[in-house]
Amino acid sequence: MRHIPEEELHAYLDQALSRSQCVEIESHLAACPSCQAARDGIAALRDRTTALLARLAPPRNFPPSFDLLRSRAAVSADQRRRRVHRGAWAASLVAAVGLGWTANYLTSARLTTPTRIVHPVAVAANEPTPPTPATLTSHPVPVSSHRTRPANHPVARQVENPAQDSGSHRTAVPVVPAPVLQLSSIDIPRTDFEMELDGMWRTMSWDGAQAAAGDQLPHIDGLPVVQVQVQASEQGKVPLMVVAQQLASGQVIRTIEGPMNDVSHLLAKRTMTDPDPLAPGAKTNSKPADSAADDHTDRTMAMQRGDRMLVITGALPSDSLLAMIRRLNAEMRSK
Amino acid sequence: MDELEQLYQTTYTAVVRFLYRKVWDAERAEDLAQEVFVRALTHRPEKPRAWVFAVAANLARDEARAAVRRRRHLTLLKGDPVALPTIQPAADTLVEHDERMAAVQDALSTLTHRDREILLLWDAGLSYPEIAAQTGLAVGAVGTTLARARRRLVEAHDRQHAPQGDHAAHS
Repeated sequence: MRHIPEEELHAYLDQALSRSQCVEIESHLAACPSCQAARDGIAALRDRTTALLARLAPPRNFPPSFDLLRSRAAVSADQRRRRVHRGAWAASLVAAVGLGWTANYLTSARLTTPTRIVHPVAVAANEPTPPTPATLTSHPVPVSSHRTRPANHPVARQVENPAQDSGSHRTAVPVVPAPVLQLSSIDIPRTDFEMELDGMWRTMSWDGAQAAAGDQLPHIDGLPVVQVQVQASEQGKVPLMVVAQQLASGQVIRTIEGPMNDVSHLLAKRTMTDPDPLAPGAKTNSKPADSAADDHTDRTMAMQRGDRMLVITGALPSDSLLAMIRRLNAEMRSK
Repeated sequence: MDELEQLYQTTYTAVVRFLYRKVWDAERAEDLAQEVFVRALTHRPEKPRAWVFAVAANLARDEARAAVRRRRHLTLLKGDPVALPTIQPAADTLVEHDERMAAVQDALSTLTHRDREILLLWDAGLSYPEIAAQTGLAVGAVGTTLARARRRLVEAHDRQHAPQGDHAAHS
């Protein structure tokens, strides 16, 4: 007599067999004590597995209304359309930048002196708007006037005489938007984040933000808060918040707290699109080995907290940011 | 009621649970589960139940990849215990419960990817033919795989952790 294989008993107990297969198995079981024992053993194993897996359940579960999902489906269809549009825009931007670099390369290739290294701050002081490729070619400057300039021409010299020097910048300064190296209470780039997120950001009062986020509002105790920005979020969730605070030196520190994905998305976006010091390109460009400049470079420190992320970004040394983020994290955990 | 809406009412919890066992983050599992149903609303699949779990499995896989990318991208504070990706239980959950859960989690992680997937799909309520369709396995092989996966899960669990608690529950 053929005994019932183990996997068939599993399938039998899982009710995955046809009626005729079940009849066959049941008639065998009735006459076979060893298969009965095997079946009982498998039934216990099955129950045990189910009981073990039942422990791996999420702590809570609030299904949103189906209508909410319907509206989200409509929104996501709309976003897909807009993504296509944005993709085309980005492609044209890449092309324009590429053209700028090429034009710039061709222009500077004609010059023989390696004197064109200019501090980005100096460029920022003279020219808030970076020159376009068209400007490059329309402002020819006599090459000979630059040949004699020493290679390590001090930055300050170029700031002294903007009228004369802005022309020289145009001929050879790499087309790199000047990083905003030092923030003040006036020029906090309000639109910095707002632009990136399609208007889903809003600026809140400190009290309003506290009401929304409670204890989880990220901030450094004792520093004046200059701005709180909040990203729109789904109902019932603590949203992504960005709190800007000012140090006595005038520098601004931003504390960011929000869902892991949203925060890393935001940081990735800033890194890719902003002409700010987070961008790797901005750091390497034409900065003299001047130590003071380093102190104005924004650094970012991130820490994962469960499914959320805490970030501090500011023009401070890494170890200061590290100490701050650790303390902040400990404070928020204890609340 | 819309067929999808009906499916949503009956399977949402199972989809969340299924995702939770892959991403180990309750809130994220819920987000992904909702995303699955949002996509189902856009695509209107023919066999929505199987489709929903197939998409959930894909999203969980993408999630794991994204986590790797994020780690690469950011200056996460290595060696700092609070900075490590953690499976944080809700604050009010009992420690004992956490330990019991971690024990099953450990045991589950010893299974092969395929065994684990099939066990989780079965536990989520999929039939043998549905599991077969999703995993590419023959229907006849689902029983074999499940038999092995169940045995290994329980063995791995009992090997690492004394099974007193469960014996009490089942005796």
